[in-house]
Amino acid sequence: MEKKREDMSSDEKQEALFQRWISPKDPEGNNLKFQNPQAEKLYKERATRIKDAIQLKKKPDRVPVFLIPSFAPAFYSGLTPHDVMYDFDKIIPAWKKFYLDFQPDAHGGAFVPSPGKFLEILDFNLYKWPGHGVSNKTTYQCLEGEYMRADEYDTLIHNPLYFFSFTWPSRVFGALESFQMLTPLAGLTEMYGVSLPFIPYGTPPVQTALKALMEAGDEALKWIQVVGGFEAEMPTLGFPAYQAGATKAPFDVIGDTLRGTRGIMLDMYRQPDKLLQAMEALTPIYIQLGVGAAKMAGNPLIFIPLHKGADGFLSDAQFKKFYWPSLRKVLMGLIEEGVVPLLWAEGGYNSRLEVIRDLPKGKTAWLFDQTDMAKAKKALDGIACVMGNMPMDLMTVGSTQDAIDHTKRLIDICGKGGGYIMANGAFFDEVRWENLRAIVDTAKEYGVYKK
Amino acid sequence: MTKQWQELTPEEKQEDLFDRWLSPKDPQGKDLKFQSPQAEKAYKERVTRIKDAIQLKKLPDRVPVMPILGFFPNIYAGITPQEAMYDYDKLAKTGKKYTLDFEPDVRASIGLATPGRVFDILDYKLYAWPGHGVSPNHTYQCLEAEYMMADEYDALIQDPSYFFTSTYLPRIFGKLEAFENLCNLANIQEIVAVGPNLIPYGLPTVQEAYKALLEAGSEAKKWAETVGDFNKEMASLGFPGGGGFSKVPFDVIGDTLRGTRGIMVDIYRQPDKVIEAMEAITPLMINMGVSATQKSGNPLVMIPLHKGADGFLSDAQFKKFYWPCFKELLMGLINEGCVPLPFVEGSYNNRLEVIRDVPRGTTYWTFDATDMAKAKKILGDVACIGGNVPTDLLSVGTPQQVKDYVKKLIDSCAKGGGYIMANGVAADSVRPENLKAMIDFTKEYGVYK
Repeated sequence: MEKKREDMSSDEKQEALFQRWISPKDPEGNNLKFQNPQAEKLYKERATRIKDAIQLKKKPDRVPVFLIPSFAPAFYSGLTPHDVMYDFDKIIPAWKKFYLDFQPDAHGGAFVPSPGKFLEILDFNLYKWPGHGVSNKTTYQCLEGEYMRADEYDTLIHNPLYFFSFTWPSRVFGALESFQMLTPLAGLTEMYGVSLPFIPYGTPPVQTALKALMEAGDEALKWIQVVGGFEAEMPTLGFPAYQAGATKAPFDVIGDTLRGTRGIMLDMYRQPDKLLQAMEALTPIYIQLGVGAAKMAGNPLIFIPLHKGADGFLSDAQFKKFYWPSLRKVLMGLIEEGVVPLLWAEGGYNSRLEVIRDLPKGKTAWLFDQTDMAKAKKALDGIACVMGNMPMDLMTVGSTQDAIDHTKRLIDICGKGGGYIMANGAFFDEVRWENLRAIVDTAKEYGVYKK
Repeated sequence: MTKQWQELTPEEKQEDLFDRWLSPKDPQGKDLKFQSPQAEKAYKERVTRIKDAIQLKKLPDRVPVMPILGFFPNIYAGITPQEAMYDYDKLAKTGKKYTLDFEPDVRASIGLATPGRVFDILDYKLYAWPGHGVSPNHTYQCLEAEYMMADEYDALIQDPSYFFTSTYLPRIFGKLEAFENLCNLANIQEIVAVGPNLIPYGLPTVQEAYKALLEAGSEAKKWAETVGDFNKEMASLGFPGGGGFSKVPFDVIGDTLRGTRGIMVDIYRQPDKVIEAMEAITPLMINMGVSATQKSGNPLVMIPLHKGADGFLSDAQFKKFYWPCFKELLMGLINEGCVPLPFVEGSYNNRLEVIRDVPRGTTYWTFDATDMAKAKKILGDVACIGGNVPTDLLSVGTPQQVKDYVKKLIDSCAKGGGYIMANGVAADSVRPENLKAMIDFTKEYGVYK
């Protein structure tokens, strides 16, 4: 008899999620129908290869190779980011062509082009996007601000989800500003007064806001039907997805788009305890986000982009006190449920390697951008799969030979004994396409492990 | 220079709120225009009388009388509870007729007749109401059930506001069931996640729910405008009223989240979770009362007490589960200048020694079936008490019997101030002449020399 999920160890849960990923189902719960036997074979080989590289139990057949693009598929098809954000029909052909032409070992979905009209309806203030604050050919630009005030930590600590779902949207979406008039519905406990919290919903600003929200919802629904279709189709063509979803480090949640970099840096000095308490309150939420997405998708891989903990942003002492403990709790919470956190250490992580070693074996994968890979491999050897480091400048302006050489060098440094996935170090848009091809092809050829 | 609100002591805050209540403003923020100098005088006398009874600082001119009424004003003036809930003009008219005819120290609280159409629109499941599950002539009936499951304490603790909004709401309103499909938006901080997380707002079922919510909001607003106009008019005629509302954390969970059976089981099976959950919702309950008093400029916060009555919990259970967060609620309100008005349904004979532990002159306890002489003896030096005129007496007794009862209460409880005359439970269909006798005789016999 099969064990129930709640009776499984975290190892067993991880294995079960990997097995679901390797043998995917269609939405009706039947075995996925691949487009041809070759696609099925490729899919299983690829998923198994990635699994082996992550689990560190046995050597994969070769070094897996990922391409993790931003708007690159649009550029590759001669389109601008603006084109694909405003014309959903253009997304799928471009993204499909990108993966089919380069044949990396996994696909990353087609979620990069957000629905442009949707963002306009909501009057999204937190980012500039192609054609809206930046040129049609430029990617997103986050606009940092204090979207949470310094005196709002208690609110965040005690009612974090309410804060995210009502307070924060009223500040980052111009069209939802009137949400600040809404009250928590805790007053709905008795007949008396039960209608009072509904009064704001009768006022024109809230009614207008909700109409905008529904109109935006219509757009989002149209969009997801397109990009969801891509997500469903890619496995049938032989490409497993390298992420079931994403979550974040609690420090980054607060430092990126609540308090902003400046805000959180001040808070570490002025109200360190509140900051720590808030991160603790956020931890279960960000565990749940990852666990929920992984279980729903039947794919253990959950992306975690890391920002404010990079070399130079925090001192070693600050990293150990503020950044790492709650991130580690998120990681352990995910691992406990069989999820494989795929951490993307943007910038350099040289000074953090000794700290992040403190993790169970074969449960995480670390994608590095500018970290010294020899050092990283040495520090994490036997603990975690390392990934990445293919430099953006090399991809953009290097020669094909440079790309081939660097790919080989990375495999020499990191590939030994398994536990390495070839990948780019940062999100990329326009690069030399022949370099991409060289990276993938070299990894496939040079990265084969001898039996 | 006047002190900032945060710098005031609790006593100063209370005084400030009483001052605001004494000198009411109209919705534009100007001094309220009274309809006559007599009305202004009567208004100020009434507020001062209630204030003096509560503060225990000086003797009021007489015992204030504050009847606790459900649909009585409407029934008295010839409409059914159902009509009161659906016809806002009639609701206001009947409230006015009662107030002018009976001249109590506070006006009718017509806001207690909640707007029926809001519940029809939203398909409210938590109560039966006049003409909807009970006869048009009867009052509300709460329908207990497990609106929160035994394994949901962690969710409630983690984020009570969000729990109410996202989990509880779709369960008590049939038309909002689709809100269960909404995601919490904790993951939309980065642009690529914004679209995916807002997809549910495009679902037809969710959109229908929002349309119902907007329709209900418009209806609630209409009702609130009528109630607001009524309150203003009654104040201009000399009758104060209003204030806020809150609940004891144990009752919040025991009444309409887990239900009586649920919470009784939980205090054995998962006592720590119950306590943690009560602690998590206490700040919300404090805030509910404080924000209402700040908005209305009236310090009174009504708190109906249910599951802590004699017989519901043992003394030890009361002390462990009911009182700590109740006390925290009281102190949270008192610290912001509010006057909690615990409305003690059932009896509290076993609880009097425990509840004594409140600062002097900051609370008003309305009792139903508690031994009033005992209550006066135990609480007399710390709190104002009132209530206890029995509904059965008001319903089937004679005016003379009511007078006798009122006289007995004044004799045993009113000495030295700190007493307010009131009936024990919200009255719907009592004999008008009996209620009149309660009010008139208090005015006559309750004068302090």
